[in-house]
Amino acid sequence: MNPLFENRLNLTRREFFGRGALGIGTAALASLLSKTGGLGSEVSAPRSPVIPGLPDLPHFAPKARRVIYLFQNGAPTHVDLFDYKSRLQQLHGKPIPDGYIGGKRFSTMTGKADGKLILSPVEAFKQHGQSGAWVSAFLPHIASVADELCFLKSMHTDAVNHAPGISLILSGGQIPGRPSMGAWLAYGLGCDTSDLPAFAVMTSVSKGTSCGQIFYDFYWGSGFLPSRFQGVKFRGSTDPVLYIKSPEGMGRPMRREMLDDIAALNEIKLREYLDPEIATRIAQYEMAFRMQASVPELTDISREKDDVLGLYGPSVREPGTYAYNCLMARRLVERGVRFVQVMHAGWDQHNSITTELYTQCKDTDQPSAGLILDLKQRGLLDDTLVIWGGEFGRTPFIQGNLDDRKRWGRDHHPYAFTVFMAGGGVRKGMSYGETDDLAMNVVKDPVHVHDLQATVLKLLGIDHERLTYKFQGRHFRLTDVHGEIVSRILA
Amino acid sequence: MRARPIALLFAVIALSPAEYESGSVAAEVHFSREILPILSEHCFQCHGPDEKSLKAKLRLDTKEGALGKRANGTAAVVPGNPKESQMFLRITSSDKEEKMPPEKLKKDLRSDQIELIERWIKEGAHWGSHWAFDKPSRPAVPLDPSLSAILNPIDNFVADRLRRAGLSLSPEASRAVLIRRVALDLTGLPPTPREISDFLADPSIDAYESLVDRLLASPRYGERMAWDWLDAARYADSNGYQGDSDRTMWPWRDWVVKAFNENLPFDQFTLWQLAGDLLPNATQEQKLATGFCRNHMINGEGGRIPEENRVDYVMDMAETAGTVWLGLTFNCCRCHDHKYDPLTQRDYYRFSAFFNQTPVTGAGGDPQTKPFVEVPTPIQRRSSERLDLEVVRAAKELAVFEQTKFPRPSDQPVSSSQPLKDLPKELQEHTAIDPAKRDAGRLEKMSVYWKTNDAAYFEVLEILRKSVNERSALLASIPRVMVMEDQSTNRATFLLSKGLYDKPLERVKAGVPESLAPSGTHEPTNRLGLAQWILSPENPLTSRVFVNRIWQQFFGIGLVSTSENFGVQAENPSNPELLDWLALEFMSSGWDLKRLCRLIVTSATYRQQSTAARELWERDPQNRLLARGARFRMPSWMLRDQALSASGLLVESADGRPVRPYQPDGVWEESTFGAKRYKQDQGEGLYRRSLYTFWRRIVAPTMFFDNPSRQVCTVRQPRTNTPLHALATMNDPTYFEAAMHLSAKLMTNSNLKPEGWLKRAFLIVLGRHPSDAEFGRLNAALDRYTKDFGLNPAQAEAILKPGGQSFLSPDSRAELAALTVVCSTLFNLDEALTKQ
Repeated sequence: MNPLFENRLNLTRREFFGRGALGIGTAALASLLSKTGGLGSEVSAPRSPVIPGLPDLPHFAPKARRVIYLFQNGAPTHVDLFDYKSRLQQLHGKPIPDGYIGGKRFSTMTGKADGKLILSPVEAFKQHGQSGAWVSAFLPHIASVADELCFLKSMHTDAVNHAPGISLILSGGQIPGRPSMGAWLAYGLGCDTSDLPAFAVMTSVSKGTSCGQIFYDFYWGSGFLPSRFQGVKFRGSTDPVLYIKSPEGMGRPMRREMLDDIAALNEIKLREYLDPEIATRIAQYEMAFRMQASVPELTDISREKDDVLGLYGPSVREPGTYAYNCLMARRLVERGVRFVQVMHAGWDQHNSITTELYTQCKDTDQPSAGLILDLKQRGLLDDTLVIWGGEFGRTPFIQGNLDDRKRWGRDHHPYAFTVFMAGGGVRKGMSYGETDDLAMNVVKDPVHVHDLQATVLKLLGIDHERLTYKFQGRHFRLTDVHGEIVSRILA
Repeated sequence: MRARPIALLFAVIALSPAEYESGSVAAEVHFSREILPILSEHCFQCHGPDEKSLKAKLRLDTKEGALGKRANGTAAVVPGNPKESQMFLRITSSDKEEKMPPEKLKKDLRSDQIELIERWIKEGAHWGSHWAFDKPSRPAVPLDPSLSAILNPIDNFVADRLRRAGLSLSPEASRAVLIRRVALDLTGLPPTPREISDFLADPSIDAYESLVDRLLASPRYGERMAWDWLDAARYADSNGYQGDSDRTMWPWRDWVVKAFNENLPFDQFTLWQLAGDLLPNATQEQKLATGFCRNHMINGEGGRIPEENRVDYVMDMAETAGTVWLGLTFNCCRCHDHKYDPLTQRDYYRFSAFFNQTPVTGAGGDPQTKPFVEVPTPIQRRSSERLDLEVVRAAKELAVFEQTKFPRPSDQPVSSSQPLKDLPKELQEHTAIDPAKRDAGRLEKMSVYWKTNDAAYFEVLEILRKSVNERSALLASIPRVMVMEDQSTNRATFLLSKGLYDKPLERVKAGVPESLAPSGTHEPTNRLGLAQWILSPENPLTSRVFVNRIWQQFFGIGLVSTSENFGVQAENPSNPELLDWLALEFMSSGWDLKRLCRLIVTSATYRQQSTAARELWERDPQNRLLARGARFRMPSWMLRDQALSASGLLVESADGRPVRPYQPDGVWEESTFGAKRYKQDQGEGLYRRSLYTFWRRIVAPTMFFDNPSRQVCTVRQPRTNTPLHALATMNDPTYFEAAMHLSAKLMTNSNLKPEGWLKRAFLIVLGRHPSDAEFGRLNAALDRYTKDFGLNPAQAEAILKPGGQSFLSPDSRAELAALTVVCSTLFNLDEALTKQ
């Protein structure tokens, strides 16, 4: 065979990992594949072939090889959780002093902010660890790992509403239609396994909340990138991946036989038509077969030790909870998945700062900290970047009536919020950036969402200006036409 | 820390358009196809139409800018003399400071591009405009006596192009391949064995053409053509965004099917959808068609600023029209002048002004936001007429009754009646209202009172109350389709800084992009004028853009592969003469779409076999030169329809209400925290054509992989090949049940023996007979599975459980289960998934 053609047939197709079926023979292929199928095998067992990324990537030596984004949907209140300001306590119940608002735009629930009353943080704050990071009593577990974390306290964004805000921070644009960060990384860096997708997504919602945040699939969409880069949703149900289960009554041996027949008949077609797409199809059916084994193996936590499960808190065994998803995130990255997006909704406390916020923190505090500890004890934290944060912050002033403590709330606040990161080449025990004495506006070292994105890409060895995709005649990138790397937080 | 295998990185070898040409003779460099794309890609960012980012006051997008003398006496380009052309000197400079494009832009020119520019300058630097912005002129049909296998002018263009590349058309595909290909292309459904054998046996010389005519006349044609239009029109059955309320736009979808089937000329099709409401004496149907514009998402999120929403909707309408008819990427101009195309931010807002005139305020998330039209189904219309009569009759009877119950002089109102005055105040008020005008609430209160006080009165009241209730329930269930309507006073449109609704700059008047409107032409002032301008023979884009999409539908890729973008950054057409010829032919035929489809599918180009020599796959992997027939995986909706049709499960019905077929449990619930529950249909709803599946915008139906999500206008469907697709077609109950149903159907046909089942199944799914090798392999599998299931009857029962109980006697169940697995194998073969 013409070597150039073979090369193109097999290797220029990024989806065609390992050796193609062409020229190997189905039986050999099948045996090759069954060896890497890894039913119940230890994670360190022979790895399936990697899926290569773009040839010119990484642009420079990466610090992080994979990302877990613990996305806090609904906008956690920076005012009550991380950004401690004693002046808020002093001014509690008083109107916002002059000079803080200046024609700023808020959601229609607030309308004009002038004259609104300051609301003090509802729980006590303390400094933690050697770094002395401020964390509220809402989050004791996160506070206990404060020295592992890097707090970005000067985040700001352009959007005041959830969907545009989340879209902006995850995909670089407020309007749906651009590839999300995970899709960019799957496209650029490929995957360290071909048993599982490069980009996995899981969702959960706080037990106590009834507010209607919705997980839109464009939060993990591939936009104009080929759809194979979109996030694959792992569900907290008996079918963790859509259509992963064979029909009832069809065991694995029969599925294998069926795939052998499909491959044999497809090879006849390939010899007749010589269409390389047929070779790709054979390979993709084989990967489907491997996923049918690797996904149940992934979700079988029976071999996890009790002390490990204990790190994630009591609801870790319950599929679909945030704790369970955090554990799955570790298991996914351990198996070579590039980007895991864990989304947890319920942070939208318009009238429940003194009620639902407690449930919300309880559900997420221990699992978030547990994940960091677990990654650390496995040596995975060094090259795994963990990001915790939402789409914007919440107003330092009250939404609701000061006399009705049960209904205290805070509205959307795009002008300042806090995100923290851990591992993956980020400096530990650091707080970066500052807001004013009311946590209202950023006054030092502002970090726009595009800057955060540029920095994340940098940690993964990518120049955010050079990872582009041409669509509609324009070279698009995650950071749109913006993005400055926050170099002082790089370890 | 664990070591990870380092990804082996292989260089991607891709052919640039020029390279699939072998041994091409150096013809004169073509400015708009060869030079303009280089300038656009590498220079326009700083030397293009966007005035704000213009560097050194040098524009390379205009002839004056590039060739004109500059203040210092030099010129960027001096025809005939590269060495005196400042631009050439700068791109070839070895001085880092001098060199263009600047290193930091990372837009370096390749040496072949520099050579091309040098040749172009030497040849006289002939200038021209972007090809797509010039009106197409009818190219001469290439005539070459050596060309054979020509069936219509399409082939002349293709064969001529191939000849220049040292290639020729491939032979015609076999009839069995052809009928499957053309049936899927024109109706979205595979041919039946009967249709296949009739066609194979048809001795007439125009057997194929008659087949095409039959397919074009089938009502399934409209259903097939509608899918791509729905993707473009971002049609969905819910609003999108938070809340994602259900809407009732489906009568518009049914209208699209009908319009395709009736072959409504494309100019009318366009006019009605953009401006049907503005036509003189607009019919209900013409108004309904404007639902196209209103298919955009609606954001009902609490706290959203209405005006921000409204501006979003207007922009969406404008951008959709720009993409669908003009192939322009208008969205770039929301914030700034276009970097590449001669479109300004002003152009964008002038264009959006056409859509800025509806009374929509942007407030709330009502999925039936006015203006709308009510489109009752025929049954609803009949019921409504019946109920109107019933209400009138019942009201009359009540009036008569009340005349006696509350006596008063005939010229006095009922309120003057003494017996009424004795009643509770509230009841007096209700009674004072004409029975025909009493609403359900009043009637209810009256009923409650009289139930215990006057049985006869109660009875008469109840008749009216029930009729009124029934009528209001019916009226509420009549679908309302949001449509276009302009308010009487003109709403001012502003150029918005960075596209922000609250940052208006100067006021603009409605108008079309200046660079596309030849001076002196009549400027449109409203949507109707806009639609007429879009359809004007002077418009260089509309026909090209649309015929290109039809071509894309049949060949998997357009003559211009960037079907969403015909701007300067568009890919050059693979066969520009053919594109122009088709565009003009389409217009001069009176925008006759069926004729265009017929022209394409009866060409020798379309009818070629899709097998090819290895060298050709290597040289032209995307088949841009068309030296072979198209071969690509069908859209997922077509795969599902094929499985339903082949198995005999397909239910073809004219009921347009969206249906809810099989979908894994919990998909909607997970995305909406239980706010939206998926209530799967029973019976017919499971087996309707994919077109009628309920489209929830925030979580699209899971069975349609690789389909646009319908959130925004999309005119090019992605086509990928992933393991998730394999999982869907192997494990989705729709496909597996189809395999089972097909098996049972074959087994209950007493004329067939097991061997016959297999052969028949093969024919039904793949449209041809199996080879010996294929048959051998499948037959062995059938034997093996039959034995397996015979030994494990419980497994057979498990496999047949969904819907399988009613089929066949217990002793055939192992065979049925085995045949089911084999049929599932067939549905998953590359050939079954592919239109070849």
